[in-house]
Amino acid sequence: MRAALPTAPTLHSEWIKIRSLRGTLGGLIAVFLVTAGIQALTAAAIGRSEEGSMGDDPLFAAYYGLSFGQIAAMVFGAGAVSCEFHNGALRTSLAAVPNRTRFYLSKIATVGVLALLVGQVTGLATFVAGQEFMGRYALELGDPGTYRAVVGSGLYLTLMALFAAGLTAWLRSGTVVLSLLIPFVVMVSFVVGEAAGGAAQFLPDRAGQLVLHARMPGDLGPWTGLGVMALWAGAAVLGGWLAVRRRDA
Amino acid sequence: MNSIEIRELTKAYGAHRAVDGLTFDVLPGRVTGFLGPNGAGKSTTMRLLLGLDRPTSGTATIGGRRYVDLPDPLHRVGALLDAQSAHGGRTARDHLRILSAAGRIPPGRVDEVLEQAGIASAAGRRIKSFSLGMRQRLGIAAALLGDPGVLLLDEPTNGLDPEGIIWIRELMRGLAAEGRTVLVSSHLMSETAALADHLIVLGNGKLLADTSMEEFIDARSTPGVRLRTSDPRRLRAALARDGFDLTDAGEGRWTVEGIQAEQLGTLAAREGIPVLELADERASLEQAYLDLTADHTQFTATR
Repeated sequence: MRAALPTAPTLHSEWIKIRSLRGTLGGLIAVFLVTAGIQALTAAAIGRSEEGSMGDDPLFAAYYGLSFGQIAAMVFGAGAVSCEFHNGALRTSLAAVPNRTRFYLSKIATVGVLALLVGQVTGLATFVAGQEFMGRYALELGDPGTYRAVVGSGLYLTLMALFAAGLTAWLRSGTVVLSLLIPFVVMVSFVVGEAAGGAAQFLPDRAGQLVLHARMPGDLGPWTGLGVMALWAGAAVLGGWLAVRRRDA
Repeated sequence: MNSIEIRELTKAYGAHRAVDGLTFDVLPGRVTGFLGPNGAGKSTTMRLLLGLDRPTSGTATIGGRRYVDLPDPLHRVGALLDAQSAHGGRTARDHLRILSAAGRIPPGRVDEVLEQAGIASAAGRRIKSFSLGMRQRLGIAAALLGDPGVLLLDEPTNGLDPEGIIWIRELMRGLAAEGRTVLVSSHLMSETAALADHLIVLGNGKLLADTSMEEFIDARSTPGVRLRTSDPRRLRAALARDGFDLTDAGEGRWTVEGIQAEQLGTLAAREGIPVLELADERASLEQAYLDLTADHTQFTATR
């Protein structure tokens, strides 16, 4: 097993792969710009109009932009893996790193670390920038659940990127994964999720977003919710690993 | 240490065997041409050797080790599989940097091989803007990156202009002369004839020939000479005494089958017959190859 762990050279190589493509690097930057930007713009537009104008739960409302930023996180995660399926890029990659487990873990680790770094910065910036425009309805860092939401939102974005990355390795197509996931988080989960509780609370995005709530709508707590989402992401990453290991390149 | 060993290698896709019980060695110090019609199993063999596809049975090793077990694969083996093995959205330099980082190759080698492959001026351009010939040169640059002792090149002359073809011919000859193992697949006979010292020929996934270029051609062509003479009548008579036959090839030229230039020259000198031009006639690689594959088709058809 030790022989299959990522090494500094393989991680470096994966980082160059991400930063040398407009799509993946752009997706990573968009996670920050979209989440914090939409949050600030929305808060500036309607945040001060009346109490609860951004939603009943003020903490969850502080992460309104996350609904959009998570799409950028998916685009980043899926893109970082799907670039291997363009032409025969995977063959070149595996010729350089023939141990497939090491190749895959290096990629997943690079995606995870980058998403975590950008996610944490985004989590803090979104909170600060959004609340700046909330006037007397603003929350302050230190209010109940705020630190949890700041850290949790970064973890949420990281898990979403890994979920998309694992699925892409499994299904071998970023387009397929994004055309499944984006409608899912934009519509299906919204519609189904309104009937809170039941099975819907275990959907990856619904469960993960519990970490942003001040009041828990269902049976799961904030961290157990994020844990449920981590199981989804873990299953996707595992499925991707089995596919990468088994299939001919 | 740099030789390639293929042993009982088989790759089946369902009932179809793309590679069927192949056994051969590729030795260092010479260029080995890898021939066979489309679908004969050349590319599959190369992919199996690199561990990209899993063999159904048998082994493919480099210096006794599987490719996946090599500690520094890019330092040992350089491969050009097809010109499309790079993401079009990256620049040529970034593509090579990714490989050099993963393979623990000094970053300075990137610009060296770009220079060597003649695409240094396009290093900062995205690969999707490259012509097929430039992609091929980039693929060759990638194969040379780790200064490997073994080179696997699948159709390297594809898309290259005549100047590029001469360049790669010289390059491969030079690499083999340095003691490296060079395996080059091609469907262009004239190219392979100008390039290879040794031949491996596949048909339907099976080994048809594993022999030196010379033996391959000699075994599949009847020896003979082509000549011009001012006295065909006397020459015919002289040849007939030794059991040879002079055939008119038109335009004042004659051919004799089953004899070599040395033998005919001596005979003509002894008889005092003027010979104006004399040369051994050998089949081309193309003729020899078609002859072999025709045999094989007959064999498979009558089986």
